[in-house]
Amino acid sequence: MAETLLDIAMMHSDSLIARAREGDKNAQGKLVQLWYKRIYNFSYKFFFDHDLAMEVSQKTFISMHKNLAGLQEVTRFKSWLYTIAVNYCREETRKKKASRSFSLHDLNPGEGEESYRWEESHHRNENPERQLRHSELSDLLQSCLMQLSQEQREVVIMKEYEGLKFREIAEALNISENTVKSRMYYGLEGLKKILEQKKITKETIGYEL
Amino acid sequence: MNYRPDESTLIAYLYGELNEKETKKLEAYFQQHPEELVKLRGLDEVRDVMSHAQDKEVIAPPVFVDEAGVKPFWHSSYFRVSMGIAASFLFLLVAGKLLGPEIKYSNGELRISFGNKTEQPVQSNGLTEEKVNELISSSLAKNNESLEFVRTEDQKKLMQTIADFNSKKMNELTKTASQASQEQVRSFVSSLQEQNLKLMKDYFQLSTSDQKKYMESLLVNFSSYLQEQRKQDLQYVANQMNSLEKNNNQFKQETEQILTSLISNPGKKKNNY
Repeated sequence: MAETLLDIAMMHSDSLIARAREGDKNAQGKLVQLWYKRIYNFSYKFFFDHDLAMEVSQKTFISMHKNLAGLQEVTRFKSWLYTIAVNYCREETRKKKASRSFSLHDLNPGEGEESYRWEESHHRNENPERQLRHSELSDLLQSCLMQLSQEQREVVIMKEYEGLKFREIAEALNISENTVKSRMYYGLEGLKKILEQKKITKETIGYEL
Repeated sequence: MNYRPDESTLIAYLYGELNEKETKKLEAYFQQHPEELVKLRGLDEVRDVMSHAQDKEVIAPPVFVDEAGVKPFWHSSYFRVSMGIAASFLFLLVAGKLLGPEIKYSNGELRISFGNKTEQPVQSNGLTEEKVNELISSSLAKNNESLEFVRTEDQKKLMQTIADFNSKKMNELTKTASQASQEQVRSFVSSLQEQNLKLMKDYFQLSTSDQKKYMESLLVNFSSYLQEQRKQDLQYVANQMNSLEKNNNQFKQETEQILTSLISNPGKKKNNY
């Protein structure tokens, strides 16, 4: 329910963005509150790493604060914000490659251990056992997502989890809509193969849950 | 019918973002190719499965409003630079007013001056080259005159003193020469001869006595040398004789020992074999 309200607020935040663009500090603060979770989750799904997601989120909102005055159209705020986020994600990926470091998530868990139990969970209101299963499933699906190429992963996350329109994704990534759709198609196809390999289907998920 | 939808059309249909005309066209295609629809439903199933990946809860950090961006007008660099230029110009004006500078250019001469103008006495340019030459020649003539005068005076004085001195000496000599008699001259000459004779005698006497002493000492030294030589020779001969004697005695003793050993051990050699 709370998320729905938040979504509504995000959908109708044009006046808020306009005020923030004019330099209203309170409006800027509210924008951060509204969009922080989305940008964090986008980055988290991109990296499957909490620290990197936090890093990218903070950099994105610092950049938003500095450059908001230069935003031409208020309606393009969403794609503009994701453009910043995706650029920082790519930058961090380059740094990661250069430093040759890897997180614990890059290590394959042992046989019969598909989960990453150290991942934190915040669904406090749910049944702890169910919550743990959800968390494990999320991590499993996240690991599938990480097997996609970076270009396909960007598009899949933006479409499937962030709910951006193809036009908005195209704007954010500065590519054509057809390219976005094509990447989406092959991304889903790739995921299908990965899920089949891991024997994850709608039925097994229903049984697990 | 050769219609074959591309990936972007299929995806747009999957997400319900395809327009009505295209949708109908595609659905007609699916009726003819149901396997394509199954394939697309497979992708839809993937979406369904992937939707179970939950969002992570995260708390947005507090926003600190940075006021550094809002700078007052007088803190802007443009204002600072222009004010700096204006202030330095004003300083130059005030300094100029206080110091009273004056820059003048005339007859190829640039003159920069500060403060009140002081009038310098104008020097007259009345002196010509001829006048200067006249002045120099007149002063030289005066100088030459005075030098000539001094020189003639000095010469006169010198001549006077030399003449006085010579005349005095000549007078004294002629006086003494005229006063001396013939006898005195003789006695003077004889005394000179006596002195010479005496000197010669002394010389010869002294030289003969010295020669005598030298010869005597030479003879004495030679005789003592001969005696010493004789002593040494005698000593040498005595030593030689002693050594001969010693050798002789030693030889004697050795022969005695040999003889005694021969006599005392006549048959021992045989036993050694």
